[in-house]
Amino acid sequence: MKKGLVFALALILVTTLVPCLSAADAKTLTVWCWDPNFNGSSMKAAAAVYNKAHPDVTINVVDIPENIEGKIEAGLQANGAGLPDITLYQDFRIEQLIQNYPTALVDLKAAGLDYSKFAQYKLGPMSAGGKIFGVPFDTGSTGFFLRTDILKAAGVDPDRYMKSPKWSDIVKLGETVKAKTGKALIAYDTTSFDFLRIMVQSAGAQFFKPDGSLNLRTPAMEKSLAILKDLNDKGILYQAEGWNNWVSALNNGDTAGFMNALWMIGTLKSKPENAGKWMVIPTPLLEGVPGAQNASNNGGSSWYIFSSSPNKALAIDFLKSTWASPAPDALEFYNTILKNSGAMGTYLPSQKGSNYTAKDEFFYKSQPVYKDFAAWMAKVPVLMYTPNYNTMRAAVANATLALFQGKVKSVDDAIAAAEAEYKQTVGQ
Amino acid sequence: MNKRGSYYRYLNRFGWFCVAPAMVLYGLFMAYPILSSLYYVTRKWKGMTNTFIGLGNFTRMVQDKIFQLSLAHNFVFMFIQIPVMIFFALILAVILNQGIKRLRGAFRVIFFLPCVTSLVAYSVLFRILLQSNGLLNNIMINAHLIADPIGWLNDPFWAKVTIILALTWRWTGYNMVFFLVGLQSIDTEIYEAAEVDGASKARQFFRITLPLLLPVILFSAVTSTNGTMQLFDEPNILTNQGGPANGTLTAALYIYRQAFVFNSDFGYATALSYIIVLISGVFAFVQMRLLGGRDK
Repeated sequence: MKKGLVFALALILVTTLVPCLSAADAKTLTVWCWDPNFNGSSMKAAAAVYNKAHPDVTINVVDIPENIEGKIEAGLQANGAGLPDITLYQDFRIEQLIQNYPTALVDLKAAGLDYSKFAQYKLGPMSAGGKIFGVPFDTGSTGFFLRTDILKAAGVDPDRYMKSPKWSDIVKLGETVKAKTGKALIAYDTTSFDFLRIMVQSAGAQFFKPDGSLNLRTPAMEKSLAILKDLNDKGILYQAEGWNNWVSALNNGDTAGFMNALWMIGTLKSKPENAGKWMVIPTPLLEGVPGAQNASNNGGSSWYIFSSSPNKALAIDFLKSTWASPAPDALEFYNTILKNSGAMGTYLPSQKGSNYTAKDEFFYKSQPVYKDFAAWMAKVPVLMYTPNYNTMRAAVANATLALFQGKVKSVDDAIAAAEAEYKQTVGQ
Repeated sequence: MNKRGSYYRYLNRFGWFCVAPAMVLYGLFMAYPILSSLYYVTRKWKGMTNTFIGLGNFTRMVQDKIFQLSLAHNFVFMFIQIPVMIFFALILAVILNQGIKRLRGAFRVIFFLPCVTSLVAYSVLFRILLQSNGLLNNIMINAHLIADPIGWLNDPFWAKVTIILALTWRWTGYNMVFFLVGLQSIDTEIYEAAEVDGASKARQFFRITLPLLLPVILFSAVTSTNGTMQLFDEPNILTNQGGPANGTLTAALYIYRQAFVFNSDFGYATALSYIIVLISGVFAFVQMRLLGGRDK
């Protein structure tokens, strides 16, 4: 009996230790990202390039569709358990991560990455204390996407709005489309703050002052909220609850268009039956607001390496040889992911690729969309996120919904409500 | 005398030896976190860094209107959903017990199934069904019950209704099973005596069944109250992180957002969770007094 007990204990001990021994496999890298049509496929393309020179390395691209930030935070609290080697992380949230977990990420500037070849506006959020932590990935250059078939059904000539649309033009277009086809012009995700962010940032306005305090009472914000309320009151917004509902609304033709960044192209291309129907016009101009442009930014993310990774050197080498390399193979893959997934990288040498000016047959009249997006990206000002960006985002999204539903009457009240909720949540 | 003493001491030590593993686990996973929470709650946290602020978290909590809103939502769900659910569970249990005798097993399984489905899976499915252009709205529009689609997930009022519906769907069967067991422990002679005395079915239900089932109802009420105070998954997934503009935000969800979504302020989240424990305890005490006190 006693012998049997000792034997059983030994067996349990051995079986639990063996997996731990095999986990430190020297030639495997794990990468986390969240969109298999976009950043997942882009990373897989990079992995294919790396495997040509290093066929013995396995790179696992894992799709984490929901709450990647929560999973990463849980792993960091557990001193790195369960974390991948490389992860994708959104630019607007990275400052919060760096502030809360200063030792979590590997300093890539110290590892010899040449940052002068990247678009400089990407470097701000990922830098702290003289260190730079990430490899910049994509830009969130925005445009207004329209379904030409629905426009034609409403009797509108799709070629009329190509140059510099203003929001008043869009409101008129929305009214026409609604009257003639009964469909809403714009698919709007009620849980997301992105639409408002695109409008405000198109005028170069920031949500925070340089000292980090909240800055919601700007002309850009007030005009944007007023326009949004107008669009909603006229029935021009299709209110979708959540990402999935929003994507199905625009892909299935329930709405005539949407406004978002070029990283949506991968999602659009996942429905090949919509080929030839989509066109992109510039982000509408916020009239009457100083500094307004027909360009804005929404999102953008970058690749980061965790300090807890057992394969740091391999991860650094992989990222350097693919995402930060001027070698022809690397530039070629940047070119391919642009066409296939709509991933416009911020590595400056890659922007000479052929696809940057090529026509894309998926779009209406083979519009060379990437040329447009690249031109718009050049107009985007430096964006200021802060560690409190996520809190502000929730407060503003809630206030916007309250404005739509008439819980607050005026734009001024909505801004006051957002400020109040922000103060409550942050605890000032 | 001496021999008895040593035997007693042997039994004593053996008893401690048997209980030791459980006590170690309890110490590690219950006592240690509770004690260390005292360390967390007196500091303002930002991820890995912290500063000592004494009772600052508690003064902040008193002025936190969003926390008060989330508690109000918890109470709304509790006071509406629990009576509705217990009522339905009772009716179903009585029907299954006295009515349908043949397919009782099958019906019991059908009603019990919702509570063993994955919380996340059913939340996602309900979310798809309850979209503006989802199945439920389409059915109701086609049946001419409503003219415009109801914003189940978009409107703060209907979002609360959605949560109550989801919770009732999930937990009615669970409580029904408990009531079924309780019903079967009631002597049928009592019912026969009541029939002889001329009592109607309704009278029998209110005068015989309910009082005798009171201990089981108390158990259901207390566990449901505890569960509703900790409600998290449905508001998080079904109504997308606290519903339209914090319309279905619950206390537990707010704590999670303070700890992981906003600025990782674990100290403040700990202070908030103290309040939830306190409220759950008060409710349990009140319910035991009201519903269980009479028997004792």
